[in-house]
Amino acid sequence: MNGRREQESGRDPSQPRSPGEGWTFLSYMIGGMILYGFVGWLAARWTGWPVLFPVGMLVGLASAIALIIFRVTRS
Amino acid sequence: MSDVSVMTTASGCHIFSGCGYPAPSIADFYFKPIFTVGGIAITKPVVLAVLAGVIILIFFYVAFRKPKLVPRGTQNLGELGVLFVRDQILRQQLGRKGDKYLPFIVAIFFFVWIMNVFSLIPLIQFPATSKIAFPAGLALVVWVTYITIGMRTKGPIGYFKQMAVPEGAPWWILPLLSPVELFSNILVRPFTLAIRLFANMLSGHLLLLVFGLASWYLLSLSIGLLFAATSFLLTIILTGLEVLITALQAFIFATLTSFYIADATETSH
Repeated sequence: MNGRREQESGRDPSQPRSPGEGWTFLSYMIGGMILYGFVGWLAARWTGWPVLFPVGMLVGLASAIALIIFRVTRS
Repeated sequence: MSDVSVMTTASGCHIFSGCGYPAPSIADFYFKPIFTVGGIAITKPVVLAVLAGVIILIFFYVAFRKPKLVPRGTQNLGELGVLFVRDQILRQQLGRKGDKYLPFIVAIFFFVWIMNVFSLIPLIQFPATSKIAFPAGLALVVWVTYITIGMRTKGPIGYFKQMAVPEGAPWWILPLLSPVELFSNILVRPFTLAIRLFANMLSGHLLLLVFGLASWYLLSLSIGLLFAATSFLLTIILTGLEVLITALQAFIFATLTSFYIADATETSH
């Protein structure tokens, strides 16, 4: 429980991350799936290809994972 | 709400009468109004929430009415509570600068905790937070708070930019990722905050109901005594777990509130 937040541009790598950040990553994954799943669902209705709905959810999941990776590996 | 009976045992299933197991259902979370004031039904969860607020107000008023440098009695207990919130919850996320949010976080922590703890107290035995209205209302307050703090710290445009632009991502992937970041920060956070607390309390209460009702229902079976004793033992163990969960969920709610406020005030993106 040492996730001390300070006003610095990078974080101290030896400090473990705060639990709030873990929940943020979870909300990225949920939010990404919901958002792009909804976009995919709209696209599926518009084009008539129902496969776009799960594709949208997968795109959302992939974006969320990419977001998490970018956020974790920032310098 | 509806005209559903208050307790499943009111369905007429008496012990040794050979009826089926009166399984607890969502109907157990709906109560007949005690009285109605101008169209607003006052039910048990409403009374419990008001009671929680009154208890906290009275306790902290008595504790800090005449504060002494060396605390005695109630002030000692009050200081224990406030310092716990300040050191373990607030300063972990915000550092010393967070002290101005201490009253807010103390209120949230104790309000959620007392409402949760009502599930364990005999004769009350219902967690007010298992009605979605209370966690949702609290999450709404937290949401408005951290968005206002963020906008006040960085201006609306700056805050929006911070919410929408993830750090560390190359510019060409931003159109794909910023909606996720924006959606997650603005919309998903308060939703998960409310649902986490609500679902934990609902499931804990349901578990206690299942095993508590089973304890006496199993007595009416032929080898019921063994099963009933096991079920009773499980009820006791689950009550112990519930003591942990009530405190933990209040702690998590307060910690996440502090984290969201910290996230809103940080300018290092």
